[in-house]
Amino acid sequence: MTTIGTPVTAPPPPRWATLIRNNASILLIYGLILLVAGTAAIMAPNFRTPTNLVNILRQSIILGLIAIGQSMVIMTGGIDMSMAMVARIVALTVATLFLAGGSDPALIVPLVVVGLIVGAAFGLLNGLLITRTHASPFIITFGIASILRGVNLAISTTPIRGIPEEYLLVYDAKIGIVPINVLVMGLLWYLVWLFSTRARTGRALFAVGGSERVARLSAINVDRTLVIAYVFSAVCAAIAGLFILSRTGVGDPGTAEGMDFQSVVAVALGGISMYGGKGSLIGTLGGVLLIAMLSNVFNLLQVDIYYQQLLLGLVVLIAVAAYKSPRSA
Amino acid sequence: MTEQTSLSTASSTAPPVLLYLNGIFKTFGGIHALSGVTFDLRAGEVHALVGENGAGKSTLIKVITGAYTPDAGVIEIGGERYAGLDPELARSLGVGAVYQEFNLLPELSVAENILLAKPPLGRFGLIDTAERARQAVQLLERLGAAGQIDPYQLVKNLTVGEQQIVEIAKALALRAHILIMDEPSAVLPSRDLDRLFAVIRTLRAEGHGIIYISHRLNEIFELADRVTVLKDGHTMATAQVAETNTPDLVKLMVGRSLTDLYPPHDAARGDVLLETRGLNVEDTVFDVSLQVHRGEVLGLAGLGGSGRTTVCRALVGLGRIRGGSVTYLDKAAPRSPAAAAHEGIVLIPEDRKAYGLILNQTMRFNLSLPNLDHLQHFGVLYPNEERDAVKQAITDIQIRPAAPEITAENLSGGNQQKIVVGKWLLTHPKLVIFDEPTRGIDVGAKAEIYLRIRELTRQGVGVIMASSELPELIGMSDRILVFHEGRIVGELSREQFSEEAIMQLATATKADIASGTPIPAAPSA
Repeated sequence: MTTIGTPVTAPPPPRWATLIRNNASILLIYGLILLVAGTAAIMAPNFRTPTNLVNILRQSIILGLIAIGQSMVIMTGGIDMSMAMVARIVALTVATLFLAGGSDPALIVPLVVVGLIVGAAFGLLNGLLITRTHASPFIITFGIASILRGVNLAISTTPIRGIPEEYLLVYDAKIGIVPINVLVMGLLWYLVWLFSTRARTGRALFAVGGSERVARLSAINVDRTLVIAYVFSAVCAAIAGLFILSRTGVGDPGTAEGMDFQSVVAVALGGISMYGGKGSLIGTLGGVLLIAMLSNVFNLLQVDIYYQQLLLGLVVLIAVAAYKSPRSA
Repeated sequence: MTEQTSLSTASSTAPPVLLYLNGIFKTFGGIHALSGVTFDLRAGEVHALVGENGAGKSTLIKVITGAYTPDAGVIEIGGERYAGLDPELARSLGVGAVYQEFNLLPELSVAENILLAKPPLGRFGLIDTAERARQAVQLLERLGAAGQIDPYQLVKNLTVGEQQIVEIAKALALRAHILIMDEPSAVLPSRDLDRLFAVIRTLRAEGHGIIYISHRLNEIFELADRVTVLKDGHTMATAQVAETNTPDLVKLMVGRSLTDLYPPHDAARGDVLLETRGLNVEDTVFDVSLQVHRGEVLGLAGLGGSGRTTVCRALVGLGRIRGGSVTYLDKAAPRSPAAAAHEGIVLIPEDRKAYGLILNQTMRFNLSLPNLDHLQHFGVLYPNEERDAVKQAITDIQIRPAAPEITAENLSGGNQQKIVVGKWLLTHPKLVIFDEPTRGIDVGAKAEIYLRIRELTRQGVGVIMASSELPELIGMSDRILVFHEGRIVGELSREQFSEEAIMQLATATKADIASGTPIPAAPSA
């Protein structure tokens, strides 16, 4: 810039200050986790035991899986309200097929594949409906969820038995002290984190969330990106459904109830903008851990279920209030 | 600044000073946005405020509207001195602003919008809708628009020009007498410009003080009484418009004289890159046949809404083509922006904020967005390659500051536009379509974009440039096609260029065209 009267430039703020400001939401959520953990460690002595800590991780598996899919979708500026019902239909379909196949352990691998395909198919349906009709993702996925709820009721209103013993072992299998499912989830999170930061489609996801119009004009295939996001969230839901089936040992008609809401809460706690285009997966992971830890602590302290809901709601409000962006002039 | 003081203490016959700012300082994160700015506004005058982007105009406006509190300095309104205002106080002191982005509620009626803040109340404290409409009509009448704008019409159904008048009426409803107009002409098609000027002159005659911001200096000479030049947060000068001229103002704004904004034509025209035959798009563009060659700048002129933008968009596959053909390098042209970019046709769209940039993302993110194809291997992005590409773009097109991690929305308009240009030039295009390449950016940034365009043509790239700035079309184009109501009504070769020739074609009625006025197409070189 050519200048008469050169502007005086102050030294830039120190690096740590910028780091804190740029990662405020992540610091906040993990700060909250430490706070809750600290309080719990004092109030409930059995909180600190290694078994309980591993337990918290285990309890966060299902929500973690759903939340990671939800994060991807919310990153595009959308929302997937059908995840719980997709998880449920996968669990019920696989359970029904196990029963029909005489609980044959040989069916495990093919039926896991079937479950994933069923999930992906509903994701594809969501994605195509959203990109073709340009209707609000909330309405579309809510509509699909409603249909699936009906279908699920038609499949069974009572628990479906006949899951082979071997399938039940998947959920509880351990390497040393670490359960396999924790490893699976950790691996998945790592892969998705890599994907969102290093993959071309991951970049496109942020772009679409920032502005669909600009992304389209910037040579991004917006429709494909959106469909990928919804297929991904549905596959996450399917994996969650398969894990739930393994954990409960029956095809439970109540599978994953309320998980849509909880996953959105986890994402919001993690600081991902509901308008899309901003946020990090590490934040969502924090949100999941916080929710899992809170319900664990509540259970240890034998807090009444009604108060649990109330306290969880308060945590959400406090966290969201803390993120509130400065009002624009 | 001695001139300033003498003005504000001028003889008693001069109209009263409505607003007087003295020694205003404002700093953001160590950067002085305003350093001792002095400014005054009298009743019954249009006082233009000019300066490059980042000169401090917006900050100054925000100080006056109370959005910012100055770090130092005094604001005098109506004889009272303030160290700073807040929006409520500013409003109550009669400050009103009309921004480029209107603050109107599209789903409400004209009358509802105009009297949104203080609707007239009837019995039981309910809104008296008849009285509200009456007051709205009254205000519109003052602006000479009562016949054209129906108070019950929804705002979303109005043209941009009409919305702007509603916005002005809304400010008047709050009894504003210090009116700030931030680039009001930038959003208007040129046919609405006269009406806007008439409105401003009416307000001036009524004794309002108007602060008029514009990048178009010719408007200032047409409209304003005084002009203040800001540069880097300093008041460079305040002068009577009658006593100054464009070169002087430009020199004050950029700190150097721009002897020639437009670099010389120095590229040879090559073979045909893209050709349309009888192109019909949507229901707005008809029978457009044009050719663009390598190494040339094809200018597209025409009033707002004449179809220029629709044609530009159609060439990268946007909008529904209802007839005719587009061929690119002797094949059917690609039909989506992604496919077009892949084959080397890129559109640098008008309105960078709406179409060009992901504002909440970094400069790096935006620059690499259309280049992800080149920065990836098997779908994986490589940070080092990205960093190098981004660094190159920043150097090539001189984006300042050269800070790839800065968020796009925090940059000035000129630098934002440079990002949009830079991100596309990184793709090594063969045909670049610029739609309003320099709207709302400062002279310095303009010059740099023009240099870039010349560089492209030297490399044999074809350029289409749609613009409503006639000097820019004349300065840059090799040929100009003039659009009128969706059709090409004439082609001008360089020796035929003049603002009059373009405007005549652009505003011609259909009868004139039928009678054979269009200038014959220049023979190919």
